[in-house]
Parts: sequence; C-alpha cells; structure tokens
Amino acid sequence: MRAVVKNGIGLFTPQGFLDANSSSSFLSIDDIEATAALDVDMILVSLKRVVFFNKNGLDIFIKLFSKVRQKNQATVGFCDYDERKYKAIHTFYQDKLNFSLYKTIDVAYLFSSSFQNQNKNVLVYSEDRSQRSAMAIELHDNGHNPIIAQTKEEFKEKSSNKAAYDAIADLTYLGQMGQKIATRVTGNAIIYSISSYLDAEISNKFNIQYHNNSLNVGFRLFVFDAYKVISMNVHALNFFSKLASSGAEYNASICFVGMNFDKTTETFKDTLEDAGILFYDNIDDILKNKQLLQELGASSAANTKSKRVINKQTVTELPRFIDATVATIEMMTNSKAIKQSAEVQAIGIKDKTDKIASSIGYYGDLDGMLILVFPKGIAKKACELLIGENTDDVELILDTLAELVNIVGGKIKTLLSDQNISVDITLPRTYSNVDSLLEVIQDRKGVQVELSFNDDKFIFFLTR
Amino acid sequence: MITKDKIDEYIEKIPPAPKALRETLSLLNDGELIKASKIAQSDLALAKYLKNLVNKPIYGFSNEITDISQIFGILGVSSSQQTIYNYMTTLLSPSKWVLFGLNTKSFHELQARLSKKWEMILKHLNIEDKNITSSITLLPASIIVAEALFCEKIEDVELLRSTKQLDYNTILTRLCGLGIFDICEQIATKWEMPKEIGEIIQASSGLKPSPNEIINTLAKWMHLLLFYELSQPIFIEAGLNDFVDFQIDFVDDIYDDFARFMEIE
Repeated sequence: MRAVVKNGIGLFTPQGFLDANSSSSFLSIDDIEATAALDVDMILVSLKRVVFFNKNGLDIFIKLFSKVRQKNQATVGFCDYDERKYKAIHTFYQDKLNFSLYKTIDVAYLFSSSFQNQNKNVLVYSEDRSQRSAMAIELHDNGHNPIIAQTKEEFKEKSSNKAAYDAIADLTYLGQMGQKIATRVTGNAIIYSISSYLDAEISNKFNIQYHNNSLNVGFRLFVFDAYKVISMNVHALNFFSKLASSGAEYNASICFVGMNFDKTTETFKDTLEDAGILFYDNIDDILKNKQLLQELGASSAANTKSKRVINKQTVTELPRFIDATVATIEMMTNSKAIKQSAEVQAIGIKDKTDKIASSIGYYGDLDGMLILVFPKGIAKKACELLIGENTDDVELILDTLAELVNIVGGKIKTLLSDQNISVDITLPRTYSNVDSLLEVIQDRKGVQVELSFNDDKFIFFLTR
Repeated sequence: MITKDKIDEYIEKIPPAPKALRETLSLLNDGELIKASKIAQSDLALAKYLKNLVNKPIYGFSNEITDISQIFGILGVSSSQQTIYNYMTTLLSPSKWVLFGLNTKSFHELQARLSKKWEMILKHLNIEDKNITSSITLLPASIIVAEALFCEKIEDVELLRSTKQLDYNTILTRLCGLGIFDICEQIATKWEMPKEIGEIIQASSGLKPSPNEIINTLAKWMHLLLFYELSQPIFIEAGLNDFVDFQIDFVDDIYDDFARFMEIE
C-alpha cells in the first residue's frame, strides 16, 4: 500500500477489516521504508475507513513502526478514529503505548514540524495532565497557540464554542515524539526550535535538506529558538559554525534567541559570534523590530546568491517542463492545454488582482524554480479534480494548488529521468498574492510561457 | 485523462449477452433446469466455467461435479441463474490484468466468495428471490470497469493518488460526471438484467442510497460484504482494497448483525 504524503506526514489508509492476516498485506516494511525515505516527520495509519480491528492486527503495524523509529526517528501512530476506537486502543495497550494517536489527520498536521500554517488556536484536552502539558508544549513549539482545558467540564464548555478555535485536540495521545527539530515560518523568517542537550546528534536531527532548500527559495533569516537548551558541546558548536559559514554564501543571517550560557562555556558564544551568529534575549526583539528585520534580510525573501541566469541546459530541457505542466493540467481538467507564447524576461504580470501562485524548486543535475500564476477562479477550475467541491476557501485553494504543483514536479522528475537527468524536488510553496511572489523572485529573469485551457489563461515561469 | 466519450465508447463495445446465455437464462426462469443445462452444455466455455466454479472449496462439494445438468440440479434455479450471470461478467474481464494484480483464477475466486456468502446472507435475511441472488454477480464488474478505463493511465493515477487519497470512482465521477457504479448499472441494462439488479448495485456504492428501504438494506450488506472480501490478503495484494471508498457510515446500522453473522470476534 502506498502512503499519501502531505505536510510532512505519510498517511496509509487501509479499508475494511484489520486482523493478523490482513495487516501484513496492507503494510510491508518496504512500504514504510519508501515513505520514510521521503523524509517525513510522521508515519500514520488512518482508521477512518476501518470498521473492525483487533490487537493482533494493530500489533503488526506497531512492529513495523518500531523498526522505522529506530532508523529515522519519525513519529509513528494512528489517526482518524472515534472515541470507541480510541478507547479500544488504550485498552489493548494500556501503559505500553509508545506510539501516538491523533483524533484526526488535521490534528496530526498541527504536530508536524513541516506544517506551514502556524498560529492556529488549538483547544487542548486530555484526562492525563502530563499529556495536556506535552501537547501544549509541542503545539507551542510548532508555532500554534494552545489553550488548555484543565477539566472535562471546562473542555465541554469551551468546545461548545467551536468558532473560537481553529482546531480541537482531544482524544489525542503523544507517544514517543519524533526527534526532528520543529520548524516554522513567520513572515520571511524560519524559526527552528531546539532544546535540551545539543551534541553530535544535532546533525541527524536537523533537516539540512529543508534548510538548504529554504536558502535556495530565498529565505535569509534563520532563528534558533534556544530557550529550552540546557547546554551544547563542541560537536554542536562545530555544526552551528559550519551552518553559519555555508549560510554566509547566501548572505543569510542566523540568530539564537534565549540561549543560556550557565552550563555552556562562554567561549562557545564567542566562537559562534565569530562565525557570524547573532544572539538575542527574546524572539520578539527580532520579529517586532522592523528595522532589525530589514538589516537581517527578512524584509525580503530574495535569494541574492542564486540570482542566476537561465542556462543552456535549462533551455534545452524547457519543453519537458512545459510538457509536464501541460500534461498535468490536461489530466486534471480533461481539456486541452495550449501554449500561447514564450519569452525570456523578468516575470511580467499585467494585472495583479485576484491572482495566486505556487512554486516548486528542483535541484540535482539541474536546478531552478518553476512558478505557476493563476487567476483565483482559474486555479479553482484547475484543481477541481482534487478539491471536488465548490469552495471559496482561499486556504483550501492554495493548499490544493500546492498539490497540483507537486504533481507537476513529480512529472518533471520522471520526464527528466527519462533523459538521464536526475533531480529532486522541494516542497511546494504557495503565494496568496502576486506581491509575495515578487518578493521572492524579484527581477530574476526566466522563461515566461502563457498557457491556457478552455480559454482560461495562466502563467508558467521557469527561473534559477 | 478519461473522458465521457471514452466511457461511451467502452459501453458501446460491450457485446450483448450471447444467444446461448439468453436462452439458458430464459429456461432457468421457467424452471426448466434440464433444458437449460443442455443449452449450457453446448457452450464449451460456459460449461468449463461452471465446472471450475462449483468445484471451488467454498461450494463445499466433497466429490467433483462434472455434469452440467447435475450442477444445475444441485444449485437450483436461483444459484444457477446467479452462476450464469457470473459467467457473463467474466466475458468482460481482460485477458491480462494490468492495473490490479489479478488473474483469471483470483477473479473467479472473488466471484465465488462473493456469490456464496451473498446467498448465505440472503438466507440469514430470509430473502428468497432469484434476481436478488443474482445481483451480487454485477459487483465484480465494477473492478473490470476500473481496470478497463484506467489501465492505460497507471502512471497518472499513481501520481495523483500519491498526492491525494482519491479512489477510482471519485476520479471518474469528478472527471466525467459518471461513476463506476453508474457504468455497471448501464451494463445491467444492456444485458437486459432484471431492474433490481442495477438498482442494488448502484445503491451498493454507498453513495447513492435507494429510496426503497429493502434495496437499501441489501445494498448495505453488499457494500460491507465487498469490503470484507477486499480485506482478504489475496485481494489487498492485488491492489483492490482501496479501488473504491468504503463508506463506513453507510453500513453502521447493520455492522453488528454482519459481525455476528460472519462470526467476527
């Protein structure tokens, strides 16, 4: 069975009956490893469409979970269940629950360090006080605003006002959490939450690929939220020094906030400062100081290092990028997509109103960034197959546009690999308006192609 | 990816029920088992299919049965009709399965399991109706339809399904406004199957409940039976478990009865 990967979570959705016989057919170690190889934060099994399960059936999944945890530290567990199923799992495993349970996949997203929609108001409740606190801490680390209900009565009262919260996290249990460093994006700054003792393990826990991709797509300010760091050793010191040196090539700024040097030698601070790392007491000292933000480079997400011209190899492969886009749009809309015009220029968008965009980076034998700019209504049409309902929910449309551009990225990867060109793709990024897109690409030149389907026009832009 | 024209073309290409089958069904309908068996005997492919099917372990016969009149005699009118319809469904199946990891043997196995258990369910529900007995035979046609329409689009479908959890029925409905079960209903019409067969199959999708309460109840049992079978390792490994969405809420009110009947712990 294949997992669907979204927001850093690989999700398996078996249907029907789970017992010892069926579970091993639903999920194999190969399925799990293929998903883990996609660098996911969590691997979950949805019980939404499972009408029956027993302990033998779940045991098979849990054995696979423990193997994957040993290897890549991802959070593992189940999601999408009702109270009856939640209680059944607790009864089966009692105090041996070493995996996590999330009431819904949307609740699980809140705990994923790759989830890009932060600042959600989340009502948290668990009968277990330590679970309540653990959930609140994790949510806070991921950039959300947890509101804890201390008693069942308080939870009932608060949850009756559903409109007051973006999400309600009850019937949720945090087992062994993933060891990855929580990452969140605030404006044009990326904030990493680090804690406890920092040693050689930091290089395993830190998602360097994500960091490099962020540099590639234009982020320049990286803040390490270090309030909960107890101490660091020389291995961690070397890691951060190297990170600062490599970031310097991009003119990136790396800051530490709240770092306490009571148990770490002060000379480490000097070494880090020499490497270009800045220290602040509070995160708000940075985020609420516009002038400082500008100086640190977060007022613009422009990528100065990689402001490069379109090269010959990219132009040679251009038809494959266009083919991948055209094929995807045709697949999604069942209509013919037509190339109207193509020019090498800085991106030109005549009318900026009501337009949204999505981009995906690729790197490897070739590197660059593909951007699709749609009028909002046209984006909705292009995503109809994925959305499946009539909606004006901009967050949903943007989310779906990211899925669409991800499919385009997948097709590009396949088409290029047919030519023995190996590339990997980054996570897609979306822009709710043209200005936020222009902030990233600025005046970079690229190939702009006007495409249309059913007479609906949209822009394809390929740049480096 | 798949257009309404392609679906129309597919339905257009489905041949009408062969004459020998129509005659066999007509005689069975009149209760003429001996005459029906003689006609069936003349169609060698049908005769071979009948022998293979009823000699599967799930039918529980201790000795091999090779004579068609004996087969019809043992099965009776309802089950004989059901078996003929099962054979008709196999006429649609591909010589080589590409999308799903099935072959002739495993597809026949699915037909046999569904048919036999459906008979037992009807007995449990105190329903004796040969058309309702036969309605289960069209359910595997939904798998054949998905195979036929999507087999040339495997890469596209895989890419799509790696991004979003979409079943084949949803993809088809969103692209063409026509789902797999709508196509099955059209096949039933083309083969001049009794009307309730098409109605039960349509409702068994769990997406278009019938206003007829009896048909709806039967559809729930059929939906749950389908996913009971699609949870068997052989069919999970064939990639059938999620070819259509399991509508868990649709079967909620009959689940306990089903679980008792199937002796699920």
